[in-house]
Amino acid sequence: MHNAKPIIVLVDDSAAMRSLFEQVAQEAGVTLQAFESAEASLAFLTTTRPALLVVNVMMPNRDGYSLLRELRTQPLHADTPTVMISSKDYHQDRVAARELGVLEFVPKPISKKALRTLLDTHVPGSSGNAPLA
Amino acid sequence: MSEAYLRFWGVRGSYAAPHETHLGVGGNTSCVELRAGDHLLVCDGGTGIISLGDALMREGGLKEMLVVFTHYHWDHICGLPFFQPAFSPDWRIRFFGPGDTAADIERRLSDQMKAPYFPVETETWMADISYVEPHRDGLRHGPFEVCHFNVHHPGVTYGYRVRIADKTVVYISDNEVQFLKTSIAKRIHEFEADEHELLERMVSEQRSAEVGAIEGVDILIHDAQYTPHDYSKKRGWGHSCYVDTVNLAIDAGVGCLYLYHHDPNYTDDQVAAIHRDCLQIIAERKSSMECHIGREGMKVRL
Repeated sequence: MHNAKPIIVLVDDSAAMRSLFEQVAQEAGVTLQAFESAEASLAFLTTTRPALLVVNVMMPNRDGYSLLRELRTQPLHADTPTVMISSKDYHQDRVAARELGVLEFVPKPISKKALRTLLDTHVPGSSGNAPLA
Repeated sequence: MSEAYLRFWGVRGSYAAPHETHLGVGGNTSCVELRAGDHLLVCDGGTGIISLGDALMREGGLKEMLVVFTHYHWDHICGLPFFQPAFSPDWRIRFFGPGDTAADIERRLSDQMKAPYFPVETETWMADISYVEPHRDGLRHGPFEVCHFNVHHPGVTYGYRVRIADKTVVYISDNEVQFLKTSIAKRIHEFEADEHELLERMVSEQRSAEVGAIEGVDILIHDAQYTPHDYSKKRGWGHSCYVDTVNLAIDAGVGCLYLYHHDPNYTDDQVAAIHRDCLQIIAERKSSMECHIGREGMKVRL
């Protein structure tokens, strides 16, 4: 059966962030694929172009920039809509993210409300702030 | 294996501070030598690496080293254009730092020596120079086992964990401890009450990561740049308040902490006051951790 729900990919080593995204994705009517590391996400991303890719900057092994630089070299992900999130909020990180063609750089912490707005803004077909049925 | 030690060649953060009032602690920027017999590992190439290079040329004997960089901000690389062994044909030097490839590392180090910033480029280096391809599993250099990890500072910045002579040394020159916790405190009004548990989990996760990187290490060399007063004005600059540094080290069960990356504005007396306060915190928390000022020229037996 064809799954018409938009797919969101989250790459973040924080279990709390993955849990937050899971809650909001359900409400927004999107399918979330969450990975705890850059390495773990690569196999899925080799074949799938999500409606929105959300990448954390600072992770224990491979950082988010390195992952996104590699993905940008692949035709499938040359312009995949991407948001970077980070507990860091430095000018240099915002510039680095912008150079990788991200839509937004969102500093943590991220509220449910802000995350709903993010999906509403960048994911066509999500129900965004619509009330639960 | 003969004697193993570490030596501080540069301890200042941000920029060199060669003022009379600062020389008890030292005015040169980041550089630490780790030596184990005939093997040499150097952490960072701030102005401190110039004196190290001069000493190595006088010493003779050694002809090989690995230099690792935490990142490429100028206070960590600006000694490299004056590093004599790089201009000497009988040296073999390997460089490593943040970057996806060896070519990335080479470009980032060599750019500072391009015109109009410097009269000669890295092409004039006569040593056998190579740039280490990044390894997820860490590096080996003689008896040194070296792992890197990401720390909280603008751009990609590494901390290094070095295993040598049954000791573990961690070098974290630039790191803003507890940043997420204070970000949450500043923005708590944006969150609903039912989100607070999630926020607590995030703080706990970050603390676990900070502690995990240094847990139980024998020696920690860590950014302790600011007083609480100055940190309140410079939060978000990528450096720690010494109170957060010393508390993190206690929480992680560190054996001995060296306060490092001293603010260039602080005199010897001001750094001594910071040290006294750290000792007070250690005593109040009934910790047995040692704590010293990282001083230029100080040699620590491993």
